[in-house]
Amino acid sequence: MSDMNSSIDVSASGLSAERLAMDVIANNIANANTTHTPQGGAFKRQLVVYSEKNGQTGDAGEGDAPGGGVEALGIVQDNSPDRLVFDPGNPDADGRGYVHYPNVQIVKEMVDLMAASRAYQANVTAIQESRNMSNAALGLLRS
Amino acid sequence: MDINAVGFGNTVDMLSNAISGADLEHSAIANNIANVNTPNYRRQSVSFKDMLAAAEQDSNGDSLTLDTNDDRQIASGGVPAGQAASFAPAVQTDDTDQMRPDGSNVDVDAEMARLSQNSGYSQTMSQLLSVQFARLREAITEQTH
Repeated sequence: MSDMNSSIDVSASGLSAERLAMDVIANNIANANTTHTPQGGAFKRQLVVYSEKNGQTGDAGEGDAPGGGVEALGIVQDNSPDRLVFDPGNPDADGRGYVHYPNVQIVKEMVDLMAASRAYQANVTAIQESRNMSNAALGLLRS
Repeated sequence: MDINAVGFGNTVDMLSNAISGADLEHSAIANNIANVNTPNYRRQSVSFKDMLAAAEQDSNGDSLTLDTNDDRQIASGGVPAGQAASFAPAVQTDDTDQMRPDGSNVDVDAEMARLSQNSGYSQTMSQLLSVQFARLREAITEQTH
């Protein structure tokens, strides 16, 4: 049943990809008000970039085996402008009295978190179905 | 007498082909689900059921076999036991139905439905295979009811 194991590997790659997405989103939410970073300036929202493993992208055509799952190519910064809040009394305020807050929108992060969580569950279901199918095949030995 | 010649051969071959085809399709569906958030991903599918039907048919399109061991018995077309066409399902990339702004054409609901359907199909085929072997066991042990 090598196929069955490989399909569990495929789903496992989906699990770790969605887990990484949830980690990054949690970090975005945790830093939603962080105005200081080692790089200077406000925290920048981060995003995960995905790619299919064993890349059969574009006009891949036909092959004997499905792709090998998903992998995260990297974590990139969202370079959209900071959220500016007028607060001249704040020690972080710039010359015009604006404080640069991260470009993190909590509502958007929550929606992304929900999408990642649902995708995680979908991968878990795929693994469970894998197991059901192997169990049915193994049941042949018991009959 | 060869065990394939007693009529088990084609059925067991067909059922095991069906199970391995469902296995491959499961891998393709799992890959689609794993890549649900990958931009520009094209969904994959395995159309093994058409191939399964083709592997069971002879050149005339007949799929039922009646084996004969006497000239006076009725013969029929179909593929003799153990001589079914080779069964080699392939993964296809689906380039149609782009429905998402990120360029992917994976519909996760449809994939979950296919996953469930394919799993049920595979388990049914396993069950049928186990019935075949139970019959064979009955024949071997001369079990009577």
